[in-house]
Amino acid sequence: MTVGQQTVDETTSPARGWGLNTWDSPWLNFKFLLGVAIVGLILLFGLLGPLFWDTDLAYTGAGPLNKPPVWQEGGLPEHPLGTESNGRDMLAQLILATPSSLKVGFLAAIIGMGIGMVLGSVAGYVGGWWDHVIRTLSDSAVTIPALVVLVVIASYVQMTDTTAMALILAAFAWPGPTRLVRSQILTLRERSYVRMAHLSGAPALEIMFVEMLPNMLPWLAASLTGGISVAILGATGLEVLGLGPTRVPSLGLIINQATTNAALVRGLVWWWLPPIIILMVIFVGFFLMTIGLDEIANPRIRQFSSTRRERAAAGELPAVEHAELGGGEEEDAALEVDDLHVHYFTPRGEVIAANGVDFSVRKGEILGLVGESGCGKTTVAMAILQVVQPPGRIVQGAVRIEDRDLVSLSGRDLREVRWRDLALVPQGAMNSLNPVTPIREQMADAILAHENVGRLELEARILGLLNDVGLPERVIDMYPHELSGGMKQRVCIAMAIALNPQVIIADEPTSALDVVVQRVVAQTLLEVKERLGVSMVMIGHDMGLQAQLVDRIAVMYAGNLVEVAPVESAFSEPLHPYTQLLIESIPSIKERKPLNVTEGLTHDLRNPPPGCIFQFRCQHVEQICRERRPELVEREDDHLVACWLYEPERQSMIELEEA
Amino acid sequence: MRGLTREYVLQRFLMYLLTIWLGSTLIFVIPRLAPGDPISEMVGRLSLDAGYIENADKLIESWKARFGLDAPIHVQYFRYWGNVFRLNFGYSLSHFPTEAWTMVSDALPWSLGLLTVATVLSFSIGVTIGSLMGWRRTPRWLQLILPGSLTFTAIPYFMFGIMLIYLVAFELDWLPATGAYSRRVDPGWNLPFIKNVLTHAILPVVSIVLTSMGGWALGMRGLMISVNNEDYFLLAQVKGLSPTRIFFRYGVRNAILPALTALALGLGGLISGSILVEFIFAYPGTGYTLYQAIISQDYTVTQAIANLIILVTATSVFLLDLLYPFIDPRITYKRNMR
Ligand code: SF4
Repeated sequence: MTVGQQTVDETTSPARGWGLNTWDSPWLNFKFLLGVAIVGLILLFGLLGPLFWDTDLAYTGAGPLNKPPVWQEGGLPEHPLGTESNGRDMLAQLILATPSSLKVGFLAAIIGMGIGMVLGSVAGYVGGWWDHVIRTLSDSAVTIPALVVLVVIASYVQMTDTTAMALILAAFAWPGPTRLVRSQILTLRERSYVRMAHLSGAPALEIMFVEMLPNMLPWLAASLTGGISVAILGATGLEVLGLGPTRVPSLGLIINQATTNAALVRGLVWWWLPPIIILMVIFVGFFLMTIGLDEIANPRIRQFSSTRRERAAAGELPAVEHAELGGGEEEDAALEVDDLHVHYFTPRGEVIAANGVDFSVRKGEILGLVGESGCGKTTVAMAILQVVQPPGRIVQGAVRIEDRDLVSLSGRDLREVRWRDLALVPQGAMNSLNPVTPIREQMADAILAHENVGRLELEARILGLLNDVGLPERVIDMYPHELSGGMKQRVCIAMAIALNPQVIIADEPTSALDVVVQRVVAQTLLEVKERLGVSMVMIGHDMGLQAQLVDRIAVMYAGNLVEVAPVESAFSEPLHPYTQLLIESIPSIKERKPLNVTEGLTHDLRNPPPGCIFQFRCQHVEQICRERRPELVEREDDHLVACWLYEPERQSMIELEEA
Repeated sequence: MRGLTREYVLQRFLMYLLTIWLGSTLIFVIPRLAPGDPISEMVGRLSLDAGYIENADKLIESWKARFGLDAPIHVQYFRYWGNVFRLNFGYSLSHFPTEAWTMVSDALPWSLGLLTVATVLSFSIGVTIGSLMGWRRTPRWLQLILPGSLTFTAIPYFMFGIMLIYLVAFELDWLPATGAYSRRVDPGWNLPFIKNVLTHAILPVVSIVLTSMGGWALGMRGLMISVNNEDYFLLAQVKGLSPTRIFFRYGVRNAILPALTALALGLGGLISGSILVEFIFAYPGTGYTLYQAIISQDYTVTQAIANLIILVTATSVFLLDLLYPFIDPRITYKRNMR
């Protein structure tokens, strides 16, 4: 279930869409920019300071001793920030110290990052023995308390300048970036756009720089800003302890001199406080940059906070236009989906994932909902279950079970209906079971959330359910990772029938399984359905499988239903050109193949064309198709289609145009 | 295969040994790479203090022999390891004839106590805040308040400590500024002493907790948001479970695992930071003792403490590693976990 993400094309590198100079670029993150501005200002203070202030005042005996800042009594205008116990001017000291503290941080972090990128790429790309050695080393190095070793080093090596210190600090800055680059490469390698680049024979370095690096950039940047503040902290720590370079002024050294001269007790606030304030501002700046970059790297965090803001702005409940109540057309419907509209509110516009989807599932029937990936079928499933994930939202429509509109329910009322009336067999159960609890607990909590059952009865019931789907009893105490994909899927089926629901949504229940297991799971589903008489919505893209399992089939294209028909007539006499295309793409009904229709233009889902949504790929397209949208209407007995081809009106329109 | 398998324990134990070996070897190698040697420096210092020392050369030689510094480097290395294993680090140079190990073991309980309390507090508070921040159903008023707890996140412990000393100890005079206990109480298991120790610990603990909990909170928030998008989290909602059950059993239970890994990896940094806190608060733990040993160029105590801190860190990480399989049943399957 890639909820809400179906519209993102996995085969193009996401970084390609990140224009660095467009206004909706994720780099325009407020926290990140604020951090850049703060650090920039501090840097300017250090760099431009010497132009405005005489930095020679930073040395011993340049002025009177222990003078407070100018705004306090006894302050002197020639020493605006006061002087300390050696007569040094505070402002001059701060101007000299600030850039040197920043320099150490930058230098150490950049060197560390460089080492980390080389080691991490070797580990991630070459793998094998190299990976093992590098990983072990960095894992163990990261747990050694760096400052302890630094302190020991510093006590033997008199550091004369900041560069020496930066080099020593860099020796502790590489494990973080190494781990990051390695894990990023391992993840990115599996992405389809990188795999495609591999298949097309691009050299490893090119893939690294063209396909991978841009996608890693926000992570690397976050690691760099984090690394800089850690390095500044390390350097400052050494300086505060009096182990840094003693001749070069640095913020830590000022703090060291202040504390060793008991500035705290003597009330010389202007001595110890300003360097601390500057350092804190620097740390806050880098911290803002780091969390800003984290949000850039991980859009979910951004989405999370923005949807919260949106919700707060729009009031807690999204406004849903409810369809007229009691508009049930069919008497024997177990589930009715009525004019359902689901939109995803992305920063680049509203994606219309379901556009007036309207169908019903009759009692005891299996309805197949098919279409290529990204057509919105999973969105429809999520909308039926009331779990459309932000930024998606049901903007209109109703989902009715026994005349109760689920869209209007919330809280306890909704929880009661869930699972008791409407259960789910999720897509490829690989990740649908909680990895850290045994099967017993996961089945039990579904039952206990709705019924009061004693412990013994509960166990008997779970064992019975496992038995129903052909699983051995010992599965009850196993963890998900100890089960095969097929077994997990059957656990999910057992869980779905635990409360004898009216309707089960099966979201591509066999898609992640191999062919043999697919048959077993499909068989299990059919048996369960026969025995319990439950109604099902079977979502899938495998027309062959659908042909064998479902009673009626609903074909979806780009958020719209284009054809709804009994399975026999859908296969023997498909009406919609898209359905025809789907059926042609199965070589033979017996030999199942996943749907493979990639040729042809699809429109932008944010901006559907007027007229028929299939017009760009249709062979029979006419002028009317581009102007007016065809309605889903019954053309033959129980056979609905949305296409002008079957509209007598079209003929007259064409004639009219010709005239 | 669940819980602690022999393979897993062995693998973690080798990692443990490797960390100790790496750290200790660094501690051994660094002084020997540095120009000059500690004994000559010490004698030089003594002669500065005393004006002149007779037969300084002989003295240096005999001290070198005594500390085994005249042997070839590889012999020294093996001897060093023998000593590390027996926790025998010789005499303190600055507090002769106290043994280095005695000084170190006097300091250790203070650091362990301070750090354990501070770490447990900051981790548990931070994780709680982060979990609530990363959960869609957290009440709105809480969502508005929680980010406030991140205020001090970016500030290093010791800077915050200095400000606390100034404000709370000197200006307001509410709590003692430095040390672990006052001179006027008798050390021992009596109530006044324990009370005294606790009041002295408040400021250092607060300065560590307030500045470090935000980091855990932010990490946990991100992890919770990822769990929010997991299939099992969605299925839990569809099952109609109560929000609290989903939060604890499906959300926190899963999100906390990487947070614990981060805790194990972050211990080194935490301990590093505490050295400065101890320095600022003159808290008589290992960090402060290390600082004093370095200032007085006490070569043996420096080595002993550095080794001890590395040992303690590695041991804590190892213990966390051993705990992990009991919380995450998958661990023995995931070789590439950490
Ligand atoms: S309405 Fe026109 S464009 Fe659309 S499917 Fe029918 S013939 Fe093709």
